[in-house]
Amino acid sequence: MSRPGQTENQTEHAPEKSPQTGHFDADTIRRGAIACLPLLPSTIIFGAVLGVLSAQRGLSLSELLFMSLAVFAGSAQFVSVDLWRETIPSATIIIATAVINMRYVLIGASLRPVFRGRPLWVKVSGMHMVADENWAVTMTQKDLANPGFLLGGGIFLGVVWATGNTVGYLLGGGIPDPEVYALDFAFTAVFAALTIGMWKGRVDLLPWIAAATGSIIGHFVLPGTWSILAGAGAGVLVAALTWREDMDDDSLEAECAVEGREAYGAPEGITDATPVTETGK
Amino acid sequence: MTQFPDLTSFSLEAVLTILGMAAVTYGMRLGGLLMADRLPQHGRWAHVLERLPGAVLISVWVPSALSAGAIGIAGAAATVITMAVARNLFAAMAVGMVLVGVGRYFIGN
Repeated sequence: MSRPGQTENQTEHAPEKSPQTGHFDADTIRRGAIACLPLLPSTIIFGAVLGVLSAQRGLSLSELLFMSLAVFAGSAQFVSVDLWRETIPSATIIIATAVINMRYVLIGASLRPVFRGRPLWVKVSGMHMVADENWAVTMTQKDLANPGFLLGGGIFLGVVWATGNTVGYLLGGGIPDPEVYALDFAFTAVFAALTIGMWKGRVDLLPWIAAATGSIIGHFVLPGTWSILAGAGAGVLVAALTWREDMDDDSLEAECAVEGREAYGAPEGITDATPVTETGK
Repeated sequence: MTQFPDLTSFSLEAVLTILGMAAVTYGMRLGGLLMADRLPQHGRWAHVLERLPGAVLISVWVPSALSAGAIGIAGAAATVITMAVARNLFAAMAVGMVLVGVGRYFIGN
C-alpha cells in the first residue's frame, strides 16, 4: 500500500509543474478496486438481501440491476425498495432518496482535492460511482488518490453489489443473516478504522468531537440518516469557528500536496510546525 | 432451479422512478464537488473543507455503532484502537468484526 522510498524521490526530482497522473489510469483503477476488497463479503451479502427484498416487492431483476448501477447508493436503495408497491409511490421514493443521499453533497465537496486540476468531463464521469466506502478508502490514501482510484473502487463495489443483487433475487431467500457473522458491522468497522487515517493533527480534534457529539444527539432525536447531517454540520460549524489566520499555511500545504507526498492532508511535520494553540474554545 | 428471469422486463413507471432517484443522487454528488470548486482555495473555507471528510466519516459510523448496542460500541472502539496501533485496515476490521460476532454469539445483542 505505502511506497515510502518512491514517494520521497518523486517530490525531490519532480519539477514545479510535474505532469499529473492520468485521469483514469488502468493501474490506478486496479489499485482502487483492490483497496475495496475487504468490503467484498459484506457488500455481496447486503446486495443479496436487497435482491430478496426486491423479489418480494415485485421489482423485476432488470429493474433492480438498473437501479443498483444508476443510483448506486445502498441505504437509499433499501428504503426505496421497501417503499416499492404495485403502484409505485414515485414521489415518496425520490424524496426519500434525496434525503438519505444528501450526505453526498458533503462527500462530493470533500473530493475537491482528488479532482484538483482535472477537466470537467473527468468530474462528470468520475462522480457517479461514488459510494461511502470507496470515498472513505480514497480519502485516506497517502499518494494514490486520484479520480482513477476512486472509480476503481466504485466499479468494484458496483459489480459486487449487482452480483449480490442477482444471487439474492434468484435464490429468493436462504441468505445467511448478515448479523450472525457480524457482516453488518463491517461497514461500521471500515469507516471507524479509516477515520484514523484522516487525522491531520490537533486542528481536527474539536471538529471531530463536535461531529461525534452531533451525530450521537442526532441518532437519538432525529429519524433515519439525519444524524449524519447533524454530525457533519456540527463538525463543519466548529471547524469554521476554530479557524484562525495562522492556520492558512497548513491548508495551503495540504492542497498543494496532491501529487506529492500526501494526497489529502498536510505532510508530516507541517501540522506540528504550525503554532496550534488550542485556546479558542 | 427456476429459469433465469427475463432481463428485458422494465415497466415505464419503474424506470422513471429509478431515473428520478439516480438524477437526485448524481446531482448531489456532482453538485457538491462543483460547489466546493467555487469555494476559495485558502482561508476559512479551505480549512472547513479539509475537516469535512473526517466529520462526515465519524457521523456515518458513530450512530451505526450505537445502533449495534453495547457490543457495537465495544467493537468500534476495538477497531479504532487496533487501527491506531497497527495501521492495518484488514487487522482493524477483523478485530472489530470478530469481537462483535463472538459477543453476539455468547451474549446476544
